[in-house]
Amino acid sequence: MVKKVVIFIIILSNLYSQDIYQKSCVECHKSLPASLQRMFMNYLLVYSGEENVKVGLFHYIRYPHKDTSVMSKLFIETIGVKRPIPRHKLSDKDLKEAIDIYWEKYKVFDKIR
Amino acid sequence: MLVLKNRVTNSILNSERKSLLRFLTLYILMSTVVILLLSIFYYQYQDKLNLANHRTQLSTYAHDLIRRLKRTHHFFDQSQIYPRDNRFKSAIYDMEYINIFSILDEKKVYFHKEIYRINSKIHFVKVLDNYYLGAKYLIIEVDDIDDWIDEVIKNIILYGVVALLLLALFGLYLSRLFLKPMRDYLMLLDTFIKDTTHELNTPLSAILANIEMMDREVMVEKNIKKLHRINIAAKTVSTIYNDLTYLVLKRENASYNIDINMQDIIYDRVEYFDILASSKKIEFRIDLEPIILYIDKEKITRVIDNLISNAIKYNKRGGFIDIILRDKYLVISDSGIGIEESKIPYIFDRYMRFNQSEGGFGIGLSIVKDILNEYHISIDVESQINIGTKMVLRW
Ligand code: HEC
Repeated sequence: MVKKVVIFIIILSNLYSQDIYQKSCVECHKSLPASLQRMFMNYLLVYSGEENVKVGLFHYIRYPHKDTSVMSKLFIETIGVKRPIPRHKLSDKDLKEAIDIYWEKYKVFDKIR
Repeated sequence: MLVLKNRVTNSILNSERKSLLRFLTLYILMSTVVILLLSIFYYQYQDKLNLANHRTQLSTYAHDLIRRLKRTHHFFDQSQIYPRDNRFKSAIYDMEYINIFSILDEKKVYFHKEIYRINSKIHFVKVLDNYYLGAKYLIIEVDDIDDWIDEVIKNIILYGVVALLLLALFGLYLSRLFLKPMRDYLMLLDTFIKDTTHELNTPLSAILANIEMMDREVMVEKNIKKLHRINIAAKTVSTIYNDLTYLVLKRENASYNIDINMQDIIYDRVEYFDILASSKKIEFRIDLEPIILYIDKEKITRVIDNLISNAIKYNKRGGFIDIILRDKYLVISDSGIGIEESKIPYIFDRYMRFNQSEGGFGIGLSIVKDILNEYHISIDVESQINIGTKMVLRW
């Protein structure tokens, strides 16, 4: 019994320690052939600045479409356009937060030497 | 005749000098502005030319770098090293003008100029089509080797000075051309006066001598009055005659300086002019101290004669003339019609009469000035219209 409770607590704390980005993005992306890093670079290639990238990505996650995708034609044809994440699963606020974390994680300023 | 000509051409009158100076200043000023403008155009042209030469080179650098940025972008997960090149410095900025990475020496960037100079660097701004690493603006920086500027400035100074010099010479020639009619006129007048003076000598001496010799005892009252008037007229002519002779004959002569008692000479000249003054009911108010000056008697007489005769000529009926002589100065002031302030600088010019209604050649004051200059005596003129004129001589 005690063992079960401990395991439950560990799982719970594990869940809480993951941020909103880990929870709502990474999990689903794990199985995809292109990394989130790759996708980020593609976003930069098209949208350049921080505001622009964030607004573009926000819009794409809500309204994904093959014409607005930054991925290659081949990629979209094999994987298919993602399904939009509805608001009741991820609020606007949480999505913004997730995107902010995503930006911070991969932005070029800090890494380039 | 030749001597005379030289004298005229050598003596530049104040009025002449002023118009000459005005013309030349304006002319030089305008030429300078034109040359300056041309220099600026030339400089800008050279500047553009130089930048254009750089542009081709910098554009090649930019293309090189873009190719390498593309590679960095695609392999960013493996290597995050910014592509460097020892031929130039560079920087990338995103669409929001945020610096992504920079190794520029000069951090100030103007995104909307294609190429420009800044603090001895040249910046070339390239707008990317694909935003590798998020970069929209790529800046290439090279040292601005500005040896061309020295060359350009050298050229500007050299050609500018030469052009200015040529223009100035031309201006001088032009102004001489403008002044020539005035000079010709002055020369004519000089010649005329010289010729006339010779002819006046004999008759004038005859008149003066005969007036002195006339026996007033046997004359009726009416005739004495007439003789008196003849005497005044003759003395006026004599003053003019003396001025003219001084002008055309004596001026070149060396001065014969002796100690002169100014008090005596002034009394003498006042007495001489008394008859002229009393005809206009003008009163002399004299306050003299015995002062000795080392001077040419003939010349100082011309000075005093002219000042007094002017004071009489331009005085009112029943006016006065004050003469004050002190150790360092002589004041002659009258209660006359005065001189307009704007004309005061020109009253010492030859042939300048400061009142058209009075006769005369306008040479008296030019002689005064001439003589005073020789003895380094200054003369100040203060005048108020209808109140009077005050001449102060200081030595
Ligand atoms: C339900 C699974 C799922 C979730 C959750 C999810 N994604 Fe995706 N995402 C996909 C798939 C599938 C694709 C590839 C198809 C596409 O590009 O539309 C994709 C594509 C993308 C792309 C490329 C977009 C493009 O223009 O093609 C980005 C960037 C991205 N996801 C970011 C995120 C972020 C950030 C989150 C978290 C807020 C997130 N995703 C959550 C499934 C998911």
